[in-house]
Amino acid sequence: MEEPPLKYFEVYRSIIPRFEDFLMSLQTMQPYWMRVNTLKIEEEKLVGRLEKKGFVLEKFGELNAYKIVEMPVKHPGATIEYSLGYYYIQDLASMAPVLALQPEEGDIILDMAAAPGSKTTMLAELMRNTGVIVANDANFRRLKSLAGNIERLGITNVIIVNRDARTSSFGVKFKKILLDAPCSGEGTFRKNPWGFRGADERGHRYLAEQQKMMMRNAVRHLEDGGILVYSTCTYHPYENEDVVKYAVKELGLKPVEVDIPIPHTEGVKRWGEEEYEMHRECIRIYPHLVDTGGMFIAVLAKK
Amino acid sequence: MQFLQKNEYRNYFVQRFGIPYEIMERYTFWERGRKVWAFSGITLEIERMEILGIKALTKGKALKPSTAFLRVIGKYASKNFVNLEASKALKFLRGEEIELPPTLVKQLEMGYVIVKSDEDILGCGFFDGKLKSLIPSKYRLQDTWV
Repeated sequence: MEEPPLKYFEVYRSIIPRFEDFLMSLQTMQPYWMRVNTLKIEEEKLVGRLEKKGFVLEKFGELNAYKIVEMPVKHPGATIEYSLGYYYIQDLASMAPVLALQPEEGDIILDMAAAPGSKTTMLAELMRNTGVIVANDANFRRLKSLAGNIERLGITNVIIVNRDARTSSFGVKFKKILLDAPCSGEGTFRKNPWGFRGADERGHRYLAEQQKMMMRNAVRHLEDGGILVYSTCTYHPYENEDVVKYAVKELGLKPVEVDIPIPHTEGVKRWGEEEYEMHRECIRIYPHLVDTGGMFIAVLAKK
Repeated sequence: MQFLQKNEYRNYFVQRFGIPYEIMERYTFWERGRKVWAFSGITLEIERMEILGIKALTKGKALKPSTAFLRVIGKYASKNFVNLEASKALKFLRGEEIELPPTLVKQLEMGYVIVKSDEDILGCGFFDGKLKSLIPSKYRLQDTWV
């Protein structure tokens, strides 16, 4: 079989720590991770049931997250328990932005690019179906998968809307906003190395412009003192630190240092001519840290 | 089309399934066309909502509860529910009709019932002497599943 196209990532040699390990991780398929839906079942009960069916699961820290080490089916969703909404297939790295937002019961949250609903359903689980989440996606077809996941998991505190996150008004302000922005998706490489497309320089710049527009619109909808989590599943600083720098310098947001219980590194300090002063408040998750995909996260407060 | 708040739909679940009213008070009910949605969140003034909460009922000659919402509230039911043993639960999940023992039949009123198996709330069935599975095709047990 053809080698996966690793050359694409050479450009990141200077910014990704333990780069050889990173490249090695890209040559292995990403394992499935799952999150137990504690709105419907206790963690121990589900784990017991799946193990009885031949699953081998590895719990991660104190989270209700498990790496699927072995399974008796081709796809981890081919079980009765999945159909009953007892768990959700979600990469551990994709849980990080939700943990960074620290959702609480009664919160009013906007999820600006929500489909297919991994983070929306995790927010709802942590909020115990209270408060409210406005889950938006610009792509009407993708709303179907969002709605399907919300229904399967028994989520009842979500309002789904279909707006352009760059320009549309949502009509109200929010205490917390999750902007998990559409991106070049480099962090998902291990899921499908041969289908991976990534982006060229021009593509990263175009995406960064779109992300900055979304950021600007997010700030419009954030209450004073509110918290915004910006995340992508890509590595390029234009789509990450550069967007955060824009939010700090141009939109007046303040970077906030948060800790998350998933191994990570700080952000990139320099990329080409660009310097990123707030790199210490940024979070990067790489696949060679705990066998996940890649993720970038920054927490920003409105002064 | 607008969602119109009609919390009187709570009574359906109280009367049909004996679910305590205080449980149903967790939800507001919203009608749009033939569908009724249950929502446990804070109400916001937002225009052009696509979905509000979870689909709870479909209006027709009689109200038909959704499997998705019954899976949320079904554990609180005190009447018109059926508890199936494991092998019959699998048949029900495949969409097959189930013969019920006479002792169970006596406890049920004709119409929609909640179908459980131990602690699992499987979804909505229809009882007319036999138990018909109303599990939506997307939730039906496939041969490749475990």
